Amino acid sequence: MSKTILTIDDSRMMREMLLMVLQGAGFNVVQAEDGVEGLEALARSTPDVIITDINMPRMDGYGVIEGVRQDPRYRATPILVLSTESSPEKKQRARNAGATGWIVKPFQADTLLDVVRRVSA
Amino acid sequence: MDPMDAIKQTYFQECDELLASLEEGLLSLEAGEADSDTINAVFRAVHSVKGGAGAFGFQAMVGFAHVFETTLDAMRSGKLDPDPEVVKLMLRAADVLADHVAAAKGEGTVDEARGHAMADELAALVAPEGGAPRTSATPASPAHDEDGGDEWGFKPLKFGDDEPAAASAGWRLVMRPTKAMYAKGHDALLFLRELSRLGPTATTLDTSWLPNLEGLDPEESYCTWTVELPAETPEVAIRDIFDFVGDDCPIELTLSGANVVEPPAATPAAPIDIDALLNSVRTPTAEREALEGGAEKPAAAATPAADKGASKNVPAPAGAGATIRVDLERVDRMIDLVGELVINQAMLQQRVMESGAARSSTIAMGLDELEQLTREIQDSVMAIRAQPVKSVFQRMPRLVREAAGATGKQVRLVMEGEGTEVDKTVIERLSDPITHMLRNAIDHGLESTEERVASGKQEEGTVRLAALHRSGRIVIEVSDDGKGINRPKVREIAVKKGLIAPDASLTDEEIDNLIFLPGFSTATTISNLSGRGVGMDVVKRSIQALGGRITISSIPGKGSTFTLSLPLTLAVLDGMVVSVGEQTLVAPLTTIIETLRPKPEEVRRLGPRGAVLAVRGSHVPLIDIGVALGQRSEPIDPTQGVVLLVESEVGGRAALVADEIQGQRQVVIKSLEANFQRVEGVAAATILGDGRVALILDVDAVVEKMFSDRRDAAPLAKAS
Amino acid sequence: MKLPQVLDLAAATTLRTQLMERRGQKLALDGGEVERLGGLCLQVLIAARNQWRVDGVDFHIVNPSPAFADGARLLGADDIASLGDAP
Repeated sequence: MSKTILTIDDSRMMREMLLMVLQGAGFNVVQAEDGVEGLEALARSTPDVIITDINMPRMDGYGVIEGVRQDPRYRATPILVLSTESSPEKKQRARNAGATGWIVKPFQADTLLDVVRRVSA
Repeated sequence: MDPMDAIKQTYFQECDELLASLEEGLLSLEAGEADSDTINAVFRAVHSVKGGAGAFGFQAMVGFAHVFETTLDAMRSGKLDPDPEVVKLMLRAADVLADHVAAAKGEGTVDEARGHAMADELAALVAPEGGAPRTSATPASPAHDEDGGDEWGFKPLKFGDDEPAAASAGWRLVMRPTKAMYAKGHDALLFLRELSRLGPTATTLDTSWLPNLEGLDPEESYCTWTVELPAETPEVAIRDIFDFVGDDCPIELTLSGANVVEPPAATPAAPIDIDALLNSVRTPTAEREALEGGAEKPAAAATPAADKGASKNVPAPAGAGATIRVDLERVDRMIDLVGELVINQAMLQQRVMESGAARSSTIAMGLDELEQLTREIQDSVMAIRAQPVKSVFQRMPRLVREAAGATGKQVRLVMEGEGTEVDKTVIERLSDPITHMLRNAIDHGLESTEERVASGKQEEGTVRLAALHRSGRIVIEVSDDGKGINRPKVREIAVKKGLIAPDASLTDEEIDNLIFLPGFSTATTISNLSGRGVGMDVVKRSIQALGGRITISSIPGKGSTFTLSLPLTLAVLDGMVVSVGEQTLVAPLTTIIETLRPKPEEVRRLGPRGAVLAVRGSHVPLIDIGVALGQRSEPIDPTQGVVLLVESEVGGRAALVADEIQGQRQVVIKSLEANFQRVEGVAAATILGDGRVALILDVDAVVEKMFSDRRDAAPLAKAS
Repeated sequence: MKLPQVLDLAAATTLRTQLMERRGQKLALDGGEVERLGGLCLQVLIAARNQWRVDGVDFHIVNPSPAFADGARLLGADDIASLGDAP
């Protein structure tokens, strides 16, 4: 049974890239363009892994992580942050909010898939 | 754009950066700076190019990059010395790799024979050393055998056993997951699986804190795990696995024998080194052992090298923590917005002044501070787009190598001022002119080796490429120590092509400038280089389009220097606002030497329409701006107006006549060409504080027009 | 009693509750459908086995799926399925 990944990113380029890489690897992909849409998507689909950007309009990635963790159905769902940022403070903040991992943009397809498989195995 | 294409474009952009850092790294190796950071950076560059090539199915590129990578890996692990011959070969290999990238972009082809030959040469470098070390890694793991472990080094242990396995030669990792770790989607299983992918592990579960089911909080973490890994496992690979989880899963990592206990990895390390992670995960152990420098050493000998202190100091990927990538669009949007802010602030200031507020009123002073801040914001935003010209300069060594090869000349390239910063939009458009000027210098400037020897020069010609800031502009100089411009020949060609009258009297400078005329080419035989190129006229036009100028100075027998001067940015301008008739115009402050009100005795008429102005003993031509722009047919009386004394690159000094000066201010440049056709004499437009649109004067164009108008008339006068 | 497919954080509480309900009964848990065995559920299973041992009742995990066996091996507890009851 193929796993479902929810990606939340406001950049069209990133969404397309994620779609291509994840679909190419056989995942179901659900996409959202900002944090609010991302949380809305949780009602429609049941992702096995969530990949979120940090800097987004309307609701940022930290809000997404907190929102996901508040939903009892997604307490155990891995959340990966995909961000150009990499400062320890930001990582700490994401971790405190409940993030599972952090991938620095731009990412390599293999790396992303590897991390996704790792947390969803 | 097709999304695949968009993604591919991103990859290509990255390739350009990677190829640049590859070449940069190799050049510093060539210069004898062979530190491990450089070698690692070079390796990573090729590795990353290969990674993306695989994703997009550029098989030929993958193949070549793989051979290249393998050779670099041998260098990285110390099996191959970066001696000059090796580095030279690698520089050429980098060129081949660049060709592969260009071919993938659809911008050229790869010379397959050259590629294969290069791949063979690279492979030959590692072949003799390649086979040996692989098997010697085995002696490192006898401890596992003593433990009675199977090939996985795995020995089942009974529950509740608090005793770790007998100390064996290798890493001992204690991981203590917390409740918080599980609450974030992590699982001890995931870490243990990752560790098992690093090499044979022996895992011990400690359940001594685990209550019976009755007293168990099912989401609390009670167990700890001790994992043993072979000594040759890179420490960084182990730590990487726990990088992000940080305090949520403290670990203790020790090399057996050492009783130093690592503090928990409290501070999350800088960014995840994706490559290291990737390697650690994907490279099969046997292969990695062969690659790692310490792999073939017995564990005991490896201890000092693998000591936690030493390897913990492995620097994070250079600069990764200090820089971010930002879409250029976002920066441009910000620059636009700040531009609007500047205009808005100016408008506000004007309104306040019009309302009669005193200069010393608090509101006026507040506005002054606002202006100051606005300026600072603008400078800071512009600085985001400023980049060192290095990115362009980096491509030039290859170009020079190729040009030297094509002409059979020996050329040494000297580069200076690579760190000089200039706006990104300017940088992008520097590449072509510099490329052409360098080719021109090698092709036409430098003599053949024989000629050089005959004239007592060094066999090797020198071409110098320099960048510097000068009075608010960036100056690029390309000079050679060749034969200089052959003026009689240039003149002869210009006459033959009908570009000048046979008897035209021209200064040396004017003759030199003939080579910028459309349709001029000094090459008597079409060489490989000039055959493909654009003429110098195109170079000049592209520079002028950027608001820049190009000049030549040449000394026969000594060489020539081409000097490009460009504005640092294409977005803002300090200008003098003047009225000309009904129009408001802005003259760039950089071109203005001084402003003055001429006295009648300083103005001297020349012919029916011409006039000159006496300025401290010399005479400069008077040009009525309104006439030059075609706004009025008759010039105004200069003594009734004001004069902007300007320095132009084309015709020296000139006195531009305007009706009135309104003041100095910074203006945001709005390109006219985006909306209208290019207007001669007008560089761009701007919006002033009161909301009016003002044109920005192209001083050079105005002066040049005046000269060409007079030149049109001059030959007739001289011929008669 | 059959163990569920996914034994992760979200399953741990339910698993404990279900096991507590069978306290005092002989148990043979069927691990044939397990696709993932995580650390928390492993804790529950070991705690249950210890509990059953204290209570003096048989406790077995039978028919472990490959995923269960692999997870148990990685978690350093590969005897949970085969040994099960108290020595």
